[in-house]
Parts: sequence; structure tokens; C-alpha cells
Amino acid sequence: MPNIKLQSSDGEVFEVDVDIAKCSVTIKTMLEDLGMDEDEEEVVPLPNVNSAILRKVIQWATYHKDDPPPPEDDENKDKRTDDISSWDADFLKVDQGTLYELILAANYLDIKGLLEVTCKTVANMIKGKTPEEVRKTFNIKNDFSPSEEEQVRKENEWCEEK
Amino acid sequence: MPFISKDWRSPGEEWVKTVEGWEKKKILECANNKTLSLLLRGDKDVLDKKEKDKKKENVIQPHCRITLKCTRELVVDDRSKGQRVKGSNSRKIQMNLIAGFNGLSDALKRLDFLSAVHDRRRFNYIVRLLDLLVSHRMGGLSGCAQRVLFNMLEEVALEVSLSQQQTGKLRRLIERVRAFSAGCCWGGRPLGSVVLWEKHKAALERILQIASSITITQPDEEQQPQWSDLPTECRREVLLRLSDPRDIEASSEACEHLAILAQEQRIWRELAQYHFTPQQITTTRQHNPGKDWKTIFTIARRSFGLREEYAEIIQLCRNCRCLFWRSLGHPCIVDQDPAFQKKLADVDRASLHVPIPPQTFLKFFSL
Repeated sequence: MPNIKLQSSDGEVFEVDVDIAKCSVTIKTMLEDLGMDEDEEEVVPLPNVNSAILRKVIQWATYHKDDPPPPEDDENKDKRTDDISSWDADFLKVDQGTLYELILAANYLDIKGLLEVTCKTVANMIKGKTPEEVRKTFNIKNDFSPSEEEQVRKENEWCEEK
Repeated sequence: MPFISKDWRSPGEEWVKTVEGWEKKKILECANNKTLSLLLRGDKDVLDKKEKDKKKENVIQPHCRITLKCTRELVVDDRSKGQRVKGSNSRKIQMNLIAGFNGLSDALKRLDFLSAVHDRRRFNYIVRLLDLLVSHRMGGLSGCAQRVLFNMLEEVALEVSLSQQQTGKLRRLIERVRAFSAGCCWGGRPLGSVVLWEKHKAALERILQIASSITITQPDEEQQPQWSDLPTECRREVLLRLSDPRDIEASSEACEHLAILAQEQRIWRELAQYHFTPQQITTTRQHNPGKDWKTIFTIARRSFGLREEYAEIIQLCRNCRCLFWRSLGHPCIVDQDPAFQKKLADVDRASLHVPIPPQTFLKFFSL
């Protein structure tokens, strides 16, 4: 099995199976476009991902390497968020900072499956909560002026009435 | 223990003493170890031995056989001069007659709803079922079923307080139960057993206690990155995964940035595409030309209702009339009977299993 070397932002080098690394569309297109030779000892720098997160991403990709490819069409997305597999759920039992870093890495490396499951995890943190609880969960400030807040609420009320 | 059944003739059931009182042995048959240890009382040695024995045996998946068809030809359509019609009308009457044979509390116990509450994949199904029960059917439940319901509610409260998710659903359930208990029972004379109601009251107290002590832990402020550090595209991805419009609205009321995101057409377009068929959307758009997607969604919602989807759902096996959890399977008569297997050789197995949404589930029982 040919390997590829990935270098994190803080300089650590990870040797990964090419097939596993290719679950990242970013790396896949790069390899295809550059036509990298397999015996070449080239190191791929990933300046946006630190070693702790890259290790986690590789762990995720290794576990999911045999998954069927995700469906292509972007429309009509799956909106179920309770179908996270137990392995993924355990994998994502991390603090919010790490979770967001994983989202950023999945977004940058273009790994659909990982982005899907991390976003679902965050969506689950919103579900069934009041605006105040959402603010608390994400540590965000209420930056509305009273009149703006009133306006948003009115708009939503119109939606809710049956 | 000798037991005389209600009609004084049948041999009766085998009973086991549990923490919650006497329980039919057949109901404990497919409870898992955790539930068993909760239910069975007695010294620990006996329990451990039982658990060991249990592990040696094949584990039985939670399942529940129900009666669907009446053996007596009771349903006759007058208009067709004695001929039975397979219309929806005659079916309905049959369902009501049969429902009496199925006990809701037995089914809830046999299907292991109590521990299933802690399973993320089954949580939503159970909460929806509870919601339907406490909103409309609470008065018709037997005392035993009410007890099971309160037990389940307590588990839901514990799960919510542990995960800090779905607080809204818990609040709604509690509100409904309180409204029911205040209106129907404690104002005047309680219906049914007074002792039982005292227990329900205590359970409700405990649930309220759990619910009121839920505090959402805020993320560490020192930690990087924070939610607000995420680029818009990532936050949009999260909003796109919300299927309930109320969640989108709640987030839009949380802060300005989310409010702007929640106004985007794409959010509401994809929400509409998820909940409604292309045909329903086309009709709605034709009737309301020039309206934005949020309006289209709201109008379509009023006419078509929202789609319900669960990661895990109860299914009905058409062969053995058995309810079971989809991913867990069930001991089917087909697997035990070679003659049956031959008959079904060229039938698609999957078509024999019918998914049962919560509303349908309740129709199997007379409530």
C-alpha cells in the first residue's frame, strides 16, 4: 500500500495510506492535479490543521475508509440528526473547541462525511432549545437592540400561528 | 405461587416480585440485564446468578406479539348484503374491537422503552409517543400504564439533564402532564387507586426537580475557536441540518448573525424540500406566485403537515404480528418453521416488516 506524508501546521509529519488520505477531496484533487509519483518522498503541508486535530481526522478517516461514498446531490439533504453511529458519537465526545476545529478541518480538507457528522452534533445542541439556551450553549451575546429583538420575534410568530 | 385468574378457569400467569410490584414473567422475558436489575428485588447474589444464567442463554431481543385480526367474523358491511368488504371502514371497526386484547403497559415493558430512552437513536421516537400519550390519551390509560408512563418520563428527564439536549421537549411533556393531573385528578377525587396517584405525584415531583436543576454548561471562554469564530459557511451547514422550523426560529432570536443566516432563502428552500414532495411544493408555489421560501414553507406546512422521521423505529412483522425495534430484529416464526420458509422463498423479506410511526403504534391499543 502506498503511503503519503501529511504535515500539520505545527510541523508533525503523519504517514497515511493514500486511500485513506483520499477521503479528503482537497488532498485527492491535489494528488490528481499534481500527478504525484507514488515513490516520491514528498510531504504535503496542511497549514490549516494542527497535529492534534489532524490525528483525530486521520483516526476518523481510517475507521470510515470502507464507507460507501456519500450521495452526490446537494439538494434535499438528510436532516436527520439522531442517526449518528455510536462510534462517531463517542469519537465526538470532545469539548466544543475541538468540535469546531474538526468542523474547520473537515471544511478545509473537504471531507463530506466528517463535516456531516460534526454539523449534526452541533445541530443537536440547538434542537429543542429556547433562544436564551442557545446563547448559553454557544456562549454568544445577545446583540439585538430591544426593537430588533421584537421584530425578529414578530416575524417568527407569524410563521407559527396556525 | 398459586394464582387464580380472573375467570377462575385458565391457569393464570407466572408472576415475579419486582421493585415495582408483581410482574408477569412473560413480560420480563426479553428485558435486558439493566432493566432486570432495576425491576427484580432480592439479594444481590441471586441477581448475579440470574444475570449469569441470562448471559448463557441466548439474549432475546425486545419484541411484543400483538393481536391484529379477529377470528370471529364480526364485521359485516350492510350495504354489500353480508359480503365482507375490505374497505377502510370495516377495517377500522375491527381494529377497535381487537385493540382490547393488547395491553399498552405490557407492550411498553416488553419493547424495553425504559432503557431505550437513553439510546440517542430511539429517544425521539419515544418522546413523540409520550407526547401523543400525555396530550390526548392520558385519561384513558390504565393505572399500570400510567405508572410505566411516569417511569419513562423520569428516564427522559434524566437523559435530558445528562445530555443537556432537547430541553424544550421535556418542558412540553411536563407541562402536559401537569395540566392533566391538575385538571382531572387532584382537584376532586382522584380516579383509580389513591396510593397509585400518590406515587405518580411523587414521581412528578422528582421529574420537576430534575428539570429545574438542568443548567446548560457554557463552553470555556478561553478556549479557541468559539462558535462565533466559525466562518459563515460552517454555521450555515449547521442551520441546514435543523429539521424543525422552531429550532431555526429559536436560533434566529439568539443573535444577529444567526438572524441574518436564518433569513437566507436557501435555509427555507431546503427545509421545504425536506418536508414536502416536489409536487406539493409546485402546487403551493403556483397558488402563491412571487412569495419567498419562508412563506411557501409556512403555507405548505398548514396544508400538508410536517414530515416525521426517526433514526430508529418500531416495526411490525406481518408473519408473526410482532412489534420490534428495527435495528434489533426479533425472533420470527419464519426462522423456526421450515414449511413457512419455503412458502416465503420468493418473497422479499424486507417487505414483510412494516414501519410503525408513533400514531399507528397507539392504534393497536384501546385507549
